[in-house]
Amino acid sequence: MSLFAQTEPATGSWLSTGLLLAVAVTSLAAGLWLLLPKAGRDSRWPWRLGAALGLLALGLFVVTGQRLGNLGEEAVFLIVSLVAVVSAAATITCRSPVYAAIWFALCLAGVSGVLLVLGAQFLGVATIVVYAGAILVMFLFVLMLAQPSGLAASDRVTNEPLLSAVAGAVLLGLLSLSIGRLSAEDPACCRPPSKAAALAGEPTSPVPVGEAVDLLAADQVARLGGELFGRHLVAVEAVGVLLLVALIGAIAIVSHGLEGDQAERSSLQEGGSP
Amino acid sequence: MTPAVLLAAAPLPLLQNGLMVGAILFSLGLVGILTRRNLIVMFLSAELMLQGISVSLVAWSRYHGDFGGQVLVVFVLSVAACEAAVALVFVLQAFTRTGRLDSAAWQSLRESTLARSVDHEIPAIDAPLPVFPRLTPAGVSPEADADAALQREHV
Repeated sequence: MSLFAQTEPATGSWLSTGLLLAVAVTSLAAGLWLLLPKAGRDSRWPWRLGAALGLLALGLFVVTGQRLGNLGEEAVFLIVSLVAVVSAAATITCRSPVYAAIWFALCLAGVSGVLLVLGAQFLGVATIVVYAGAILVMFLFVLMLAQPSGLAASDRVTNEPLLSAVAGAVLLGLLSLSIGRLSAEDPACCRPPSKAAALAGEPTSPVPVGEAVDLLAADQVARLGGELFGRHLVAVEAVGVLLLVALIGAIAIVSHGLEGDQAERSSLQEGGSP
Repeated sequence: MTPAVLLAAAPLPLLQNGLMVGAILFSLGLVGILTRRNLIVMFLSAELMLQGISVSLVAWSRYHGDFGGQVLVVFVLSVAACEAAVALVFVLQAFTRTGRLDSAAWQSLRESTLARSVDHEIPAIDAPLPVFPRLTPAGVSPEADADAALQREHV
């Protein structure tokens, strides 16, 4: 079982796949629109209806995926991806920005689980350490520094919730259509290409020349490090310089901004104009 | 199930599942960055989109048996860290100038042909405020800071 079933969909089924996908997209848009904070909300029922519609859309996407291609088999993958997706939806619909940040942390846990299932052990751990450990804590620091009063008025309304929800849902529908059409027989997209031929711009030969690596070998982290510091050494150095520049730039902006503010204020006081 | 069996069993379904999760995360992040008005939540949504891209890259890397996708995700991670540092500094600057984290506080930067956006109706706080336990005071009480009390009603 995988998210997109390998078997051909039954042609005579009473519900066509396109109709299912349309219903999924519509209910996702409606659910997101109901969940997003907006004016005129005085009871809990829009939230409940929106959550129900969102879960319905999720189920419909799974069913549509099964008809388009293959449906997901690993229970672990389904569970961690469900955690990631549901908490991502909670991140963008939560009214309090602090709760949004906490939901984002849960989403990161789910994403790191997905990365682990996909065989990227180092990245799964690095996502937790770098994102949840450093970047998210920085967000929370800024929130605590800056939030004037917990629930600002601007957190309870949104810009164009209906249009944005429709845009996101339609984008997801289009993406899932194109993902469902991927198949191993299509030589242009999905056959593992031979690296040498791809680099030379030649058409890929049916037999891959560059050997595919077993990504799940026991020493995969060591081999990832070898790849990183072998083929991509210059890029790693460049990223190191970028990190340093960002650090210096952040400090410079802060200190210069403070000086600029003080200069502005003193000039205003000397000029006597407001 | 051993890893080797996992690798051999279902390369294409695993790729499609990973791409689907990445697509969902990307779409949700897109909706968030379009609608939300808090600068920090907009920023969280951008990070959500980056997470979706990372999942897609790792799925392709697994499918092709190539470390290229994972290496790219390492770079995405570092650039996201840089971006977070610089953007949070800008958010702080914007906050010290306007006193709000609202992106509409900067709407004087809009095109001259666009109308000014006005909040017609602000919904009331629908959830009851959390009640925190009150600890027994001990020691010397510090001098009260009126500004700090104004800023921290609740979170």
